[in-house]
Amino acid sequence: MSLQQTTTDEAVVAAQRAKAAGRRYRRQQSAIDVLILFLIVIAISVIYGFISPDTFAFNSFANIQNALYTIPIEVGIPALGVGVLMIAGEFDLSVGINFIFSSIVMAQLATNGMNVWLAALIGLLIGTGIGLLNGLITLRLRIPSFIATLGTSFFWYAATFFVHGASSQPFSPDPAFAALTAGSVGVIPATFLWWVVLALAFWGLLERNRIGNHIFAVGGNKQAATATGVRVDRTKLLAFALTGTMAALGGILAASYIGNIAPSTGQALPLEAIAACVIGGLALTGGRGTILGIVLGSALIFWIRDVLLLIGAPGFYINAPIGILIIGAAAIYEILRARRA
Amino acid sequence: MSMDRMETTPAEQPVQSGKAATPLLELRDVNKHYGLNKVLINVCFHVGRAEILALLGDNGAGKSTAVKTISGVVQPDSGTLLWDGKPVALKAHTDAAELGIETIYQDSALVDSMTIARNIFMGRELVGPLGFMRMREMREIASHVLRTIVAIEGIDSPDKLVGSLSGGQKQAVAIARAVHFKRTLLVLDEPTSALAVRATEALFEYLRLLRTQGLSSVLVTHNLYDAYRICDRFVVMGRGQVVFQATQKETSIVELTEHVSRG
Repeated sequence: MSLQQTTTDEAVVAAQRAKAAGRRYRRQQSAIDVLILFLIVIAISVIYGFISPDTFAFNSFANIQNALYTIPIEVGIPALGVGVLMIAGEFDLSVGINFIFSSIVMAQLATNGMNVWLAALIGLLIGTGIGLLNGLITLRLRIPSFIATLGTSFFWYAATFFVHGASSQPFSPDPAFAALTAGSVGVIPATFLWWVVLALAFWGLLERNRIGNHIFAVGGNKQAATATGVRVDRTKLLAFALTGTMAALGGILAASYIGNIAPSTGQALPLEAIAACVIGGLALTGGRGTILGIVLGSALIFWIRDVLLLIGAPGFYINAPIGILIIGAAAIYEILRARRA
Repeated sequence: MSMDRMETTPAEQPVQSGKAATPLLELRDVNKHYGLNKVLINVCFHVGRAEILALLGDNGAGKSTAVKTISGVVQPDSGTLLWDGKPVALKAHTDAAELGIETIYQDSALVDSMTIARNIFMGRELVGPLGFMRMREMREIASHVLRTIVAIEGIDSPDKLVGSLSGGQKQAVAIARAVHFKRTLLVLDEPTSALAVRATEALFEYLRLLRTQGLSSVLVTHNLYDAYRICDRFVVMGRGQVVFQATQKETSIVELTEHVSRG
């Protein structure tokens, strides 16, 4: 009897230990380090904002609302696609021009009298198509996606000027469309809500859906994925398509919020999205990363710029600290990874 | 020695009429060369149903190439592979996998950046509506197979990343995956080289259990003692050829050692 008791106790202890270990591993795999970094820099900014509200208006309503409006469309939403594609082991350097091209076509169609919802749907389909084409070129020709999408980005730049020219395209949608894409719920901007919903959806896809398992597998070890029957090309194609869709959606939301689209913008987006992902802990080699990391990485990129603008740093130098953050983040992750392995 | 034999004599095989005559897998006159180097010369052997076959031989004997042929990684220059009596062409690993052949290499087919549970179910996820994974169930099964099949030290949770495991632990995960999905033929290339004694015992115990369920295994190993304890039949290769074949009852460790070292 007492022996049986002991065995049961031992089993209970073992089960508890396994549970604790599981929690510990899940925490390690979440983007907890990025979250801590993020909370620290936000806390410092908030405190400094309270100490010196006149010279550092970080806590002002306008600044916060601007951040919530801008982060999703400047980098956050496209970065979700770029990040998922990076986890699948590929890159897309054409998201910047995809962002512009899809939204310009949409705005042109809407301005020429097409129903704006239909025009937006066409814009999204164009974005998805650009992503799919990137995937097909990369996978069929067996060339690095870095090169394939560099190539297609030049093509779509030319296409943008071909269909529209160099002037900016105004976009003033009907009130319902404007409310959904550029309005706000209470004080929360619609673009921010879109970002949150999309981030949750992407989290579900990556962490809870079979497709996510395959995305991690093809990016982490292509041979292993093939050997276990994962359809590598199909999974990658899907990631390319999603990236295209997110770039286009970012472009459409931005067009609606800003009211016009300038063909020359968007060039920094691809590398900034990749930078956000690297800051968020994604591996350039694929197979590793979290949605929370992508989200916080996007926010941190914006945060640096915001802080520098608030303290009145000269515009030319604003990119330098971003560079330092990227290198620093990559170095820190490498150290953490080596220690855990 | 006789004690060992008594302990490990395979259980009486269920007599299967008709089908029993057809081996599960047969290699007929298989040849393979790399340049001038002939690595497989008229290799003939078969794997029976519900049988654990040892593929023995010194380094360079051709075991690895033979295994790669079975798992579809290497295509022979000539010769035939018969699966269930029918000729098959294994042009890729996936062709072999489709037949139910699973090959386990040292740290085969695992993704370092994924958890053990997600690795075990990679490509064969348990899903509900819309492809959403039944995470809890997958974790529980992963936990269970790790505890019962390979019983290896140091794996305290299915949420651990495979990248943080040792070579032996990774192998244990690969083995656990293969046996969980109950393939028809397991090909284990030096499976115990990185395993601790206890884990080796657990693995052998499981191979025996699988045999009672009708599954076959090919065990490639340097360890003749291990092979003798668990295998029903032995194929010894030397310099690309099959130099000796015998059932467990017909031979002894001494004889096997002799054939392996003579090549």
